[in-house]
Amino acid sequence: MALLTVEDLKMYYPVRGGVFRRTRAVCKAVDGVGFSLEPGETLGLVGESGCGKSTVAKSVVRLLKPTSGRIVFEGNDITRSGPAELRGFRREMQMVFQDPAESLNPRHTIGQILEEPFVIQKIGTRGERSEWAAELLRRVGLPVDALGRYPFEFSGGQRQRIGIARALALKPRLIVCDEPVSALDVSVQAQVLNLLLELQQQDRLAYLFIAHDLSVVQHMSDRVAVMYLGKIVEIATATELYRNPRHAYTKALLESIPQVDLSRKRERKLLKGDVPSPINPPAGCAFGHRMRHPKWQESVAMDLRLQEVSPGHWVQPCPCCTT
Amino acid sequence: MNEPLLEIRDLRVGFQTDHGLLVAVDDVDLTLERGKMLGLVGESGCGKSVTARAIMRLLEQPSGQVLGGEVRLEGRDLLPLPLEAMRKVRGKEIAMIFQEPMTALNPVHRVGRQIVENLLLHEDLTPAAALKRAVELMEWVGIPAPDQRIHDYPHQLSGGMRQRVMIAMALSCNPKILIADEPTTALDVTVQAQILDLIKRLQNETGMAVILITHDLAVVAETCDELAVMYAGRLVERGPVESIFQSPLHPYTKGLMDCLPKLDHPPKTMLPIIPGMVPSLRDMPRGCRFAARCPNAHDDSVLSERQPWRECSGGHGVEACACFASTL
Repeated sequence: MALLTVEDLKMYYPVRGGVFRRTRAVCKAVDGVGFSLEPGETLGLVGESGCGKSTVAKSVVRLLKPTSGRIVFEGNDITRSGPAELRGFRREMQMVFQDPAESLNPRHTIGQILEEPFVIQKIGTRGERSEWAAELLRRVGLPVDALGRYPFEFSGGQRQRIGIARALALKPRLIVCDEPVSALDVSVQAQVLNLLLELQQQDRLAYLFIAHDLSVVQHMSDRVAVMYLGKIVEIATATELYRNPRHAYTKALLESIPQVDLSRKRERKLLKGDVPSPINPPAGCAFGHRMRHPKWQESVAMDLRLQEVSPGHWVQPCPCCTT
Repeated sequence: MNEPLLEIRDLRVGFQTDHGLLVAVDDVDLTLERGKMLGLVGESGCGKSVTARAIMRLLEQPSGQVLGGEVRLEGRDLLPLPLEAMRKVRGKEIAMIFQEPMTALNPVHRVGRQIVENLLLHEDLTPAAALKRAVELMEWVGIPAPDQRIHDYPHQLSGGMRQRVMIAMALSCNPKILIADEPTTALDVTVQAQILDLIKRLQNETGMAVILITHDLAVVAETCDELAVMYAGRLVERGPVESIFQSPLHPYTKGLMDCLPKLDHPPKTMLPIIPGMVPSLRDMPRGCRFAARCPNAHDDSVLSERQPWRECSGGHGVEACACFASTL
């Protein structure tokens, strides 16, 4: 059974304006996203800023209440669960955020930060909690004397390790990583990525791994989903997606990543324009619309739900972008 | 005409802090030839941005100070210039763009006015002619409908468009050198590719030289002619891009290249890492600063002695630390 199943997830925000704060428009941040995640698996979610990947992350751990759709975790529908029920589920699902400086309370010591999950869940005695906190630090490769210190005393990479330790505290089965390395330097990034891979092997953790850097996502994931303007346009295993991308947007993303390999210096087809706003998005295939593709009109009347083109490789079947 | 466009010799920059004087840039030598693009690479705190600011004499005041060295633009040392003369160099001869265009642009003025301001300051133009020139500049950097966008405020533009406005401003007086300090770090990859392409195109059209500061080696590999790698305030390796990527000499450069995730590698494999972290500016070793993280380090003697610079073939040079100098 899948650990997590997301079906037709939609998250709409009203855009209000005028004297009476009437709803002027709807921002479709996430518009019909579905995927599943097996225990021990990593699903990467990639796309440009504003494509809705962080909104998906926050909906999955139910920091947001989705407009519609279903989120099923370990067989339980948590789409409409209240705070008390969610507290139970959050032992099993945790989150690591992008900016460790902002997600750690600057007035708490590392010890307090790491013991807080146990306090909230009412687990253990005071002595046990501080023992566990020390053990967590050891697992993420930090010295135990860090317990009495404050977040500002640590570098970005160390703070991200603390964020990961906190996420591990309750022995979750799923960790949602929202841009966990994009604020880090490359040498530190490699250290943190290796740590995440090690922890996954030890505990059979499942990750929903979000980043805008496709080479990082590709490196970390079993399967990768590419998002564009609130929708998944393609989903496949990491290797398949790299070798055989089918959607024009995936190809454009792959082509725009700078490569160190000088022997493969290639002429790039540059993507023009910016990501359109998710407020009143175009009908049909949004990427075809951006590219002003001659066949975009045809996609408006079509059913654009993902279709399986080869085993495990799903792509949006629009006439303009899919080959 | 054989002298380089910009020559930096033994540049030392320090900051006066509560912990005393911290030297952020220590004896850096760089050369920029006409029409070339030089990539200056390193991780946060390595001194790459401080070097750029020292060239422009825009160090944070009063704490930042140049402790020694020379910055020669076509033979003329910029460091002792009076402020008034330096102001004529900035924007006119050397222009700079920054990482976050939103903070570099004035939020309460329309973008057109900001471009015009620069033109009026450096060029002998009437306001009407300057406005016309601003529209042309915006068109040149690929901003659609420039006669309308010129009336926009910075917040009405996307990140990529703001960076284009910054580039239009920087290039408005045909500078000889453009210093781009992490110009694409805040942008999406697709927009990053557009901006890098734009800088490259403008460079070809104007023949200006560019110093591109970035932490991303891959960006340098795709755009630059020359590469300089900095670590903890010092230059560790410098040379033509092809030469460095084909045979990096310094273990730090090697480490930086290896630890990048590559698209064509099998997923979920461990990356080669550089262990540990950059030493603190407060207790920087006199000698090799990379020794504590270096896979080649075999004894501590390299920590106390300044390691010599060695020029290898084809303009490729490296700080030849004793730990690996024998293999060069």
